[in-house]
Amino acid sequence: MRHVLHGEWTKLRTLPSTGWLLLALAVSTVLVGAATTGAVDTSHCPAPAGCLEDTTRLSLTGVRLGQAAAVVFAVLAIGGEYGTGMIQITLAAVPHRPRVLLAKAAVVAAGVLAAGTLGVLGSLAAGRALLPGNGFTAANGYPPPSLADGPTLRAAAGTVLYLVLVALLALGVGAVLRDTAASVTVVLTLLYVFPVITRFVTDPDWHERLDRIAPMTAGLAIQTTIRGAGPPIGPWTGLGVLAAYAAAALLAGGCVLAARDAN
Amino acid sequence: MTTATTAPPPYRSTVPESRRAGFGGLLRAEWTKLWSVRRWTLALPTAILLTIVVALLSAAGGSAVKAGGGGGGGGGGGGKRPPGTVHPFNDGGGFVHQPLAGDGTVTARVTAQRASHPEAKAGLMIRRDGRRGAPYAVIAVTPGRGVRLRSGVGTDLGGGSGPVPRWLRLTRSGTSVTGYASSDGAAWRRVGTVEVAGLSGAAQAGPYVGSPSAIKVERRFGGESTSEVPTEGSATFDRVDVAPAGGARPAPWVRRDRETGADAPLDPADSPRAGAPFTLAGSGDVGPDEFARDITETALAGVLIGLMAVVALAVLSVTSEYRRGMIRTTFAATPARGRVLAAKALVLGAAAFAAGLAAAAGALLISFPVMRGKGLAPPPVTEWPVLRAVLGTALLLALIAVLSVGVAVILRHAAASITVLLLVLLVPQIVATGLPLSAATWLERLSPAAGFAMQQTVPRYDTALGPWAGLGVLAAYTAAVLAAALWLLRRRDA
Repeated sequence: MRHVLHGEWTKLRTLPSTGWLLLALAVSTVLVGAATTGAVDTSHCPAPAGCLEDTTRLSLTGVRLGQAAAVVFAVLAIGGEYGTGMIQITLAAVPHRPRVLLAKAAVVAAGVLAAGTLGVLGSLAAGRALLPGNGFTAANGYPPPSLADGPTLRAAAGTVLYLVLVALLALGVGAVLRDTAASVTVVLTLLYVFPVITRFVTDPDWHERLDRIAPMTAGLAIQTTIRGAGPPIGPWTGLGVLAAYAAAALLAGGCVLAARDAN
Repeated sequence: MTTATTAPPPYRSTVPESRRAGFGGLLRAEWTKLWSVRRWTLALPTAILLTIVVALLSAAGGSAVKAGGGGGGGGGGGGKRPPGTVHPFNDGGGFVHQPLAGDGTVTARVTAQRASHPEAKAGLMIRRDGRRGAPYAVIAVTPGRGVRLRSGVGTDLGGGSGPVPRWLRLTRSGTSVTGYASSDGAAWRRVGTVEVAGLSGAAQAGPYVGSPSAIKVERRFGGESTSEVPTEGSATFDRVDVAPAGGARPAPWVRRDRETGADAPLDPADSPRAGAPFTLAGSGDVGPDEFARDITETALAGVLIGLMAVVALAVLSVTSEYRRGMIRTTFAATPARGRVLAAKALVLGAAAFAAGLAAAAGALLISFPVMRGKGLAPPPVTEWPVLRAVLGTALLLALIAVLSVGVAVILRHAAASITVLLLVLLVPQIVATGLPLSAATWLERLSPAAGFAMQQTVPRYDTALGPWAGLGVLAAYTAAVLAAALWLLRRRDA
């Protein structure tokens, strides 16, 4: 297994797109998070303390964009091999096919973990710098987001985990569809279309139902640090929904990989 | 193509100019390339089907009681509409009246008005009857916008500003109503004449007081919500006089109940009498309901799924040519690369237009009857704003297909192109939900997602930009991308 991991790591490391995508993941997470945080102030709050603004969640808004890089990164890790025919050599070298997928998952997860951690820490730092200027000061009941604080630590670690799970979901879909373009379309649709359509659903019951099964909305419940804010699902349950999607995709990917001819 | 001096001369097709196919042949070639891939031919019908299914699901999940967001005006989502219009309608305010059987004049002096809202109205109204959405004409003073003459959904004429006390007059002649304003009751200034369709035979005339709902913006739990807060207007009149032409006997005054539209007799002691001041209060406004939910836009939300298929199809039609080397054959057959790009954009735009038209029309035709069954009142599909939304959805998808072709020519990589396109089209809408309204409005105006404004049918208080302006923003992006694509296509080696 060590050699399989090493092989997958080498293949991924030597792709020029890997570095760019992981950089894009971290940078876009920080930039979009900072831009959103900078745009929000207390001017429309009933009282500065009455806003109940979830400052941690606000600072981490950027992952909504950054996750797209994780999706492309994970899809390319497997779709690229099918595109170039490399997959045949890979499977000739490692005939135990589920092991190949596991090694790929481990390598992709490690890459996203590293870039995601950078992005999340950068977002929180940007939040700490920007929030007080917009009225979210400790005096108004908004202590700067700090990793020493339990819910904030959970939100930060959970967001990194969220990115890893999104990447694994994309890897699984990529293994099933074997086509980069189709896989990216399917995964981004799954992530982004749910919340946009939910905006148009007026029935509160349906709204909640959709929020609980949408992988992005439910998964990002892990960022909630204030009771009542965020989607109508518990933080770890929400991440569990996304984990279920990822597990199902990986399982399906493993089955397809094992069963089908690799062409 | 020839950047280095040592490079061999670029390949030129040996097919003589006269034997090459014209632009029609080029279109046919692109069409064949598109429709001979079975996966792709299935993509668009599937997208149409999914769009309709989403519309059906959202229609089945909606209900009239929960959808009704209306406060003061009583005109929430799916409120009643006057016949022949898609606009949800407000019909509130206080109105006391006497019958006006035929032509005639109603005159009054507004002596005082409470400034409950910049557009609070104190003045006179002529309407056919007490029913909701009945044809009407109103002339009124407002604290912020001077004298207004209003009728139907769209008519709103200005009649100069000036302080109260102010004389107002409405003169009815058949179906046309003329409004006048005066500062002394002697020198009258004509504000305008409105045609009030349906104002035939008996009508009601008298003082009217209205006050639109205020908009309250509140930020809580990381999102901004708006709500309408009813305001109560109040005004004092004197010298109220309803004078039917030819002089009829005076009739008792009655008050219209704005919830039921029924009339209740007014105590003669509280009625307007010549010379004595008369105070009238009223909440709500008459005219278009700017807080109503846009039912058509909601029913068309499923088009986002169709959009995915259109983006993927348009991108793949370019990138798969690069991937398989087909592009070299294409350019060998047609060395004029700009024409190839134009043919590709045209074919994909047309396919997306047809799919969008089918998806939007199908979504409305199937979901509207379901909504009617649930007690909602969707607008008639034959009205222009609804037709415009259907046509607009088709145009939107066509533009997005052309934009996708351009992005794919620039990036030449399927996954990268699809990601970029979906990000610029969807992420603004997702990020906007957490932003303050002012920032969200600018994001809606400036991003390519502005094109979705084309699906609006009802102007609302929070409308960021008009339908055609939104499509224009997307068209500008498309033109810029296409120009860049053309420049790169001519410059780069295939």
